Amino acid sequence: MDYQATLALAAPLAVGLAAIGSGLGIGKAVGAAMEAIGRQPEAAGKIQTAMIIGAAFIEALTIYVFIVFILASGKIGN
Amino acid sequence: MIQNLGLDFIDRTLRTTGVVLLVILSFCLYYLGIYPALAILSGGVWSMVNLMFLSALVRAAIRPDKVDKVKVTGLVLLKFPLLYVSGYFLLKVPVFDPIHLIIGFSVLLGVVTLKVIGRALFGLDAKAQKDENMQEAL
Repeated sequence: MDYQATLALAAPLAVGLAAIGSGLGIGKAVGAAMEAIGRQPEAAGKIQTAMIIGAAFIEALTIYVFIVFILASGKIGN
Repeated sequence: MIQNLGLDFIDRTLRTTGVVLLVILSFCLYYLGIYPALAILSGGVWSMVNLMFLSALVRAAIRPDKVDKVKVTGLVLLKFPLLYVSGYFLLKVPVFDPIHLIIGFSVLLGVVTLKVIGRALFGLDAKAQKDENMQEAL
């Protein structure tokens, strides 16, 4: 398998893996936040803030992979 | 009074990131040139818009009272295409180096991290809680 073929196989795989990881992470974060808001509705603001920050960090990782994917896909020849 | 980690923390973070980006922009304009500076600014604005939409989406969708489904759907339909399509076009601009875009995008994450570390180091959350308890007692 040459360099181009390896890149063509690895780039979408990396995006898929990142999407799975981010999906699991955000799913866990939202689930825990919903549970916490259900227990303590008066603390909803603080819980939402912590969740937003966590989600922003998780999403940033996906965006880094997205950037790497676009850079890598530009190197794949036709 | 010490501000707590409520929803206004996000607004304060966005304001701080804006100021930090302006400082970085002036340094980069002087030392690196116009295109790296613009790429860093674009990356920073991209992450700020992302956080704004994310915050609006979470505030609209995750709440103890009734959820406005039309607003949530509108935000989802607006946020994801806007974020990823604009990111794609930013990366396709030939004069912008992706590394500079990544640096700009990471500024907001750095600001959040430093703010949270600062709060932990100076025990601001405990002090804010104490302030809240005192106000409730009064």
